[in-house]
Amino acid sequence: MIPGLVQILLWQGLGELVSHFVLPIIKGSVNSSLALVSDAFSQHLGVLFVPAAVGVILFLPQLKANAMAIGLALVVSVVLTISVTALVLRFLAKKDSHES
Amino acid sequence: MNPNSLQIAEIWVYLSGSPLFALIITLTAYEVGHVCYQKSDKYPLANPVAIAVLLVALCLYLVDMPYQTYFEGAQFVHFLLGTATVSLAVPIYRGIAALRARLIPLLIALICGGVVSIVSAVSIATLLGADAAIIGAFYPKSVTAPIAMGVAERLGVSPTLTAVFAVVTGILGAMLGSTILNLLSMKQWWQRGFAMGTAAHGIGTSRAFAVHPEAGTYASLAMGLHGILGALLIPLLKNYL
Repeated sequence: MIPGLVQILLWQGLGELVSHFVLPIIKGSVNSSLALVSDAFSQHLGVLFVPAAVGVILFLPQLKANAMAIGLALVVSVVLTISVTALVLRFLAKKDSHES
Repeated sequence: MNPNSLQIAEIWVYLSGSPLFALIITLTAYEVGHVCYQKSDKYPLANPVAIAVLLVALCLYLVDMPYQTYFEGAQFVHFLLGTATVSLAVPIYRGIAALRARLIPLLIALICGGVVSIVSAVSIATLLGADAAIIGAFYPKSVTAPIAMGVAERLGVSPTLTAVFAVVTGILGAMLGSTILNLLSMKQWWQRGFAMGTAAHGIGTSRAFAVHPEAGTYASLAMGLHGILGALLIPLLKNYL
């Protein structure tokens, strides 16, 4: 697990450098220890944004004042996003299979 | 004050000054959330992050600790967020065969979904008269939280609000996704999964994996791609809207 962690940290460092300078194409291979750490991270990715998300307590008054707008915006937006993505994908896939 | 309580107070002063306390409550709260999530058979409302945030907030309220003090201690966990973002490359790498076969439809669907997500949320919130600070935080909300927070920083809006909106979006997507896709009579697992990953990032992906492995693979691919495209395009898009 540690070699994978080191590799990810190195990539992170490289990413920081890249985002500061140019954006060339990075080519890398994914080996098994990297995949192991990556899976562990992905599975418990949630814990990493707890500290930031707890900051919501600083915004409670603002959220309360805008509760209606926020709730509607979030619900309608997620319903539309899922629908549009799915419908576009089905339309394009159908068109594709008709042509071939 | 008796000597015993004085001693406890001293220990408390020491503990609350070190990162230990913040780290312990963060990890414990998440573990409680994780156990609830597993026990409830991965029910989306029992989201471990949502539970952890509630528990930590409650705990800070009870011990009367300001958020800034907590965050100083918990920033070690926060730092790893950037590291974890890098590991999002792995699902893309794994899904690269699928991506190659269907590159154009997937990319077009992703961009349509991403634009709809932003435009609908921002216009509804604007119509209903929400504060500008809140509207700004809607832009990256369908992108996976670690990347969304980076985008938020770049846009000059609150990363915290963005993270909260991203988590709520993920929970809503995971809860409503199957119903919406059934109503639209979507039959292909790859299409269903990709729609879930595009709209509801990690939480939707976890839901998609629980439903069907093919849906899960495409959902994680969508989440990774949306992260990359979002990081590049959302700052540009915001200038034009």
